[in-house]
Amino acid sequence: MLKSQRQKDFVFDSVIYVVLFIIMLTMLYPFYYVLIASFNKGSDSLLGGVYLWPRNFTLENYRVFMDDPKWVKAFLVSVLRTVSGTLLGLLLTSIVAYGLSHRDLLFSKVYFTVIVFAMYFSGGLIPYYVVLRSLGLLNSFAVYIIPSMLSTFFLLIAISFFREIPAELKESAHIDGAGELTIFFRIILPVSTPVLATMALFMGVGQWNSWLDSAYFVQSEELRTLAFRMMEVINKSNSPMDSLAVANSASAGVTSFSLQVTSMVVSIVPIICVYPFLQKYFVSGIMLGSVKG
Amino acid sequence: MELETQPKSPGTGGGRRSFLWKRFKKQKVLHLFVGLGMIYLLIFAYTPMFGILMAFKDYSISGGIKGIFTSDWVGLRYFDEFIHDYQFGKLVRNTLVLSLLKVIFAFPAPILLAIMLNEVKHMAFKRFVQTISYLPHFISWVVVVGVSYAFLSADVGVVNKALMAMGFTDEPLAFLTSPNYFWGLAVGSAVWKEMGWWTIIFLAAISGISPSLYEAAEIDGAGRLARIRYITLPGMKGTIVVVLVLTIGSILGGGLVGSNFEQAYLLGNSINNPTSEIVQTYAFRVGLSDGRFSYAAAIDLIQSVISVALIFSSNYIAKRVSGSSLF
Repeated sequence: MLKSQRQKDFVFDSVIYVVLFIIMLTMLYPFYYVLIASFNKGSDSLLGGVYLWPRNFTLENYRVFMDDPKWVKAFLVSVLRTVSGTLLGLLLTSIVAYGLSHRDLLFSKVYFTVIVFAMYFSGGLIPYYVVLRSLGLLNSFAVYIIPSMLSTFFLLIAISFFREIPAELKESAHIDGAGELTIFFRIILPVSTPVLATMALFMGVGQWNSWLDSAYFVQSEELRTLAFRMMEVINKSNSPMDSLAVANSASAGVTSFSLQVTSMVVSIVPIICVYPFLQKYFVSGIMLGSVKG
Repeated sequence: MELETQPKSPGTGGGRRSFLWKRFKKQKVLHLFVGLGMIYLLIFAYTPMFGILMAFKDYSISGGIKGIFTSDWVGLRYFDEFIHDYQFGKLVRNTLVLSLLKVIFAFPAPILLAIMLNEVKHMAFKRFVQTISYLPHFISWVVVVGVSYAFLSADVGVVNKALMAMGFTDEPLAFLTSPNYFWGLAVGSAVWKEMGWWTIIFLAAISGISPSLYEAAEIDGAGRLARIRYITLPGMKGTIVVVLVLTIGSILGGGLVGSNFEQAYLLGNSINNPTSEIVQTYAFRVGLSDGRFSYAAAIDLIQSVISVALIFSSNYIAKRVSGSSLF
């Protein structure tokens, strides 16, 4: 009896481990494939058969990428919007959340109603476009930053985090004569690293990946983001008419496909770099959000 | 702090008012902080809500914000036009089928993954699988579509090259450029991208189950499957219902099951258009590309009304059926 139970458990475990292993592979391999394709000579990749390592190793794809001022510019725009958008977003969200985290705040019911209503209802894309246009935000770098500085979702997460901070911390500062601003910057923010890191990760990734606002609200070539340029290249090669037009015939064997995978690697690497550092925070952060949400 | 949290002074009417005023003055910096947020929401969330009026008016972009109020009423003309649009049937069908397929396939996937992960005793392996599985959540749809292209396209796609090399097919299959494959493609990529992410919440639900339940069941002779069925699943029920309500509420927009718009826009092309064009991509095309603002606003509005109706009705049903609900 005991033995057969053990055998059953062994079969059970094996099935689970195999399935999980397959899932892991399907998650990982696409990234790996894109990586090796970016290091393989473009014209050679088209022949197929490159599965495990670059067959015809080259750095040419990256050289062409970095020599193209359009890609470099787009990369810089993306970096700039990610850094400034995340910092300003964190600042505004946490300031507003700090105010709202005071349980004795007057009119807090009104404030919360305003926030929750905005969470569930929206005017839709077209009226939003009209508002941005009237504010003169279209076709400017500010359109990447200003409209996304406050998200109701992060606001609620930050509020519930701030509420967990022991009141004694603030009280003692009050007694020492510190104003709200001092308390906020010198006491609250430094002890809020977990929630700030969580929000920073999400805001940063959101900014870095965003291409819709570049497509909707910006016409100027100068302001295109990396994600938008990538979308253009992918869309072009995806459309049935085009296909393998060589991006730059002068450079040895670089195709639109190899350029595409190269830009994909460039856009994934920064995310993978920050991911391990912030990961431990966001799991608890999202749980907090899901419990209170 | 102590003084502020005291119960409101009963006092007389006038005294109460001056008491409130004193409290307000004491909190003025906080109200300034919150006020910033309120002004922000007023501009970027509430002003667009007034823009919904556009759908009932003959709005022209030259009118700016004021035009929302000053342009002429046309009643339901644009709604009527949309319903009689020759593409209407196709758009509604595609939108609903895509959303429904995603609920059917993308919703159970994280539940299954969470249950399987919970059975893994090897902590390092468990953590590793988990970390890998939510990585795609952080990658943009643009990259996911790029990956699909690298894998599935007829000319460079690895899958087609491999299928042909192994002799399964003589001609490359047009995964990306045939209406027959679009739904499968969209559902598959949504599962791939979001499965691991939603697993976090379900694992959190499982971790809330008391270990003594499992011990008791084990003593009673319950096998692994029986424990999953009678302890793990019932323990997750509340979370499952809440996530299901959220999913159904955001069924048209994407939500848990991945952005329908981005997928349909990025994976769509002129050949798979019969199955890939959905209400949102259509509204985008006629609105921002063709400049028909009122018409697009009307289409948008229909969609958000349906979404709100869905979230309230699914919440109501969830409350009746299982007792747990979102609100």
